[in-house]
Amino acid sequence: MSEVSGAANTRPLLEKAESGRPFGLLLVAMPVFLVGWLVIWPIISAVFRTVWHRDSQGNYGFDLSTYVFFFSDKYSLDNLSITLWTTGVCAFLLLLVCLPIALYLRFSEGRLPAYVQGLAIFPMFVPSIILSYAFIRVLGPNGMVDLLLNAVGLPKIRTPYLTPWGPVIGLVWDNIPLTVLILLSGLGNVANQSIEAARDVGAKRFQVLWHIILPRISNSILVALSFSVLGIFSAFTLPYVLGPAAPEMMGPFMQRTFRDLNDPLSAITQAVVTFSFCIVFGLFYVRSVARNQGK
Amino acid sequence: MKRRDFILATSAAAGALMLPKMSLCRRRPHRLVHEFSDSNILDFWANTVKPKFEAANPGTTINLVDAGDSAGVQSIAQRALAAMQTSTDPQADYFEAADPLLPLDAIEAGLYVNMKEAGLSNYDKVNPLAINSDYSLPYRGSQVLLAYDTTKLAPADVPKNWDDLVSWIMANPGQFIYNRPDKGGSGGNFVRRAIHQVNGLDPSAFTVDNYTEEFGDEALGKAWKVLGDLAPALYDGGAYTSGNTQSIQLLAQGVVTMVPVWSDQVLQAIDEGVLPDTTGLVQLQDLALVGGFSRSVVLANGTNKEASLKLADFLLTEEIQSAVLTEPWRFSRRVLGLYFCGSA
Repeated sequence: MSEVSGAANTRPLLEKAESGRPFGLLLVAMPVFLVGWLVIWPIISAVFRTVWHRDSQGNYGFDLSTYVFFFSDKYSLDNLSITLWTTGVCAFLLLLVCLPIALYLRFSEGRLPAYVQGLAIFPMFVPSIILSYAFIRVLGPNGMVDLLLNAVGLPKIRTPYLTPWGPVIGLVWDNIPLTVLILLSGLGNVANQSIEAARDVGAKRFQVLWHIILPRISNSILVALSFSVLGIFSAFTLPYVLGPAAPEMMGPFMQRTFRDLNDPLSAITQAVVTFSFCIVFGLFYVRSVARNQGK
Repeated sequence: MKRRDFILATSAAAGALMLPKMSLCRRRPHRLVHEFSDSNILDFWANTVKPKFEAANPGTTINLVDAGDSAGVQSIAQRALAAMQTSTDPQADYFEAADPLLPLDAIEAGLYVNMKEAGLSNYDKVNPLAINSDYSLPYRGSQVLLAYDTTKLAPADVPKNWDDLVSWIMANPGQFIYNRPDKGGSGGNFVRRAIHQVNGLDPSAFTVDNYTEEFGDEALGKAWKVLGDLAPALYDGGAYTSGNTQSIQLLAQGVVTMVPVWSDQVLQAIDEGVLPDTTGLVQLQDLALVGGFSRSVVLANGTNKEASLKLADFLLTEEIQSAVLTEPWRFSRRVLGLYFCGSA
């Protein structure tokens, strides 16, 4: 008895934590349940359905034929490679466009940067279907750019509409806000003092960027890229409206296989393949978050 | 009488893009009228059919719901079939346009009302040529035409048969484009016309009953060569737009000279100034680009079957049929609707 009461007297904090535990678990239960129900379970079910299904004789069994077909079908592989190409090019261009914007916003003051930031965030509020039609009006054949060029006597541009560059331009524009915001929050971690100190010992602008800033924000770059890559990989509207008829990106390809060809099994197989690529980027993100929390 | 609700579904050209909207509508557990067509048809239902029907039938409300596209309607039909097996409410009543042959065996299962025997007072007014099943009710038609820019191509020089069209496309590379058939009917019917061309110009050669895999592969396969030969002379060396609207847009921007279009859409586009007055319309004279009828079906297990049949009958009245002809498209001479005259 005395031992118990003694323990209770000396460890009030622990008791408090214990009584709070069910409440804490209750708070996370809902999101965990939703993730399990709406994300984890469909993944397990999709993987299971593509490897364990009825074969041509009507017997249920282990069967990888849909995967064999996907990886031996030239059209499917072309679609996968155009998706990877689009994702890669978009990620590169996003970094190229967004890093200078984020650096500018971080290191300048006044009214102008506020306007620049507003402009950089603006694409977030434009639905992609409206963006698509605006794109056709501006960059499409005989669009506004052509009209302006024509007015000053220059030749027309080779329009990216209905080519793989169409979705690239649209997706980059669409993903600028998220990337800029994440990079900007990363740049918030870079202390002014460390930059001033580097300058004091004679570091040039590029050296400051390379040795001081980039190492501090490499995590944010990784997070920003994995976020946008996840979105771009499974993009639908922009590639559907702006992209070429064939090859098509995985989003429109899956949708067409499912709805127009009435072939859910192949569509799920495509989805599992798409998911496998996305999970790699997802793991990058999870790892960097975990590493951050460990600090 | 109990207040009745219907929900009608329609879609825009890029129907699939409207998926989020569709799922929102589904949240309302009601009796539906589903439709798939371009958005101008939804406008027509919302602004003409609904008020007129509700005025004629006090206490009845039509609830229009957009099902996205034909595949969207199909998935609702499949659910209705499943609901039939468990004797539950299919939460749908009426499809503005659907094929009663789908889903498979739906007619045998009794999913759709037999329109011929449903006792519709106006059924005998339907053009018999438009009827392809007792289980659906053709109530409006639209044809696919070729729209062209008269400032670049004089009406006198316009190709009026398939061979002239092909030689015109070949002689003017980059001036013609059609959309991918799965993304819209204007390109779909252009492809169908190519299939008719290589099969003796006889659309009646293709029926549901005479289909065999060999016949299909042979008859349809021949069209690949025709379309493949055309490809290099299309816009951008073989590009395809992603829908009916996008084809019209390219014509409007003066990029191409000619595109296949739905008659209702192109007239609306001209009317609204999307296309200039200098837009010409032509139909092939050797065999028209087919186009099609919108055929409504009524679900036999819908909770408002009676009201649905009343609506079906109402669509055939002169009031609605003359509206079909004039209101949304102002195409009185060249024709939509049941009294379809074939060429423009």
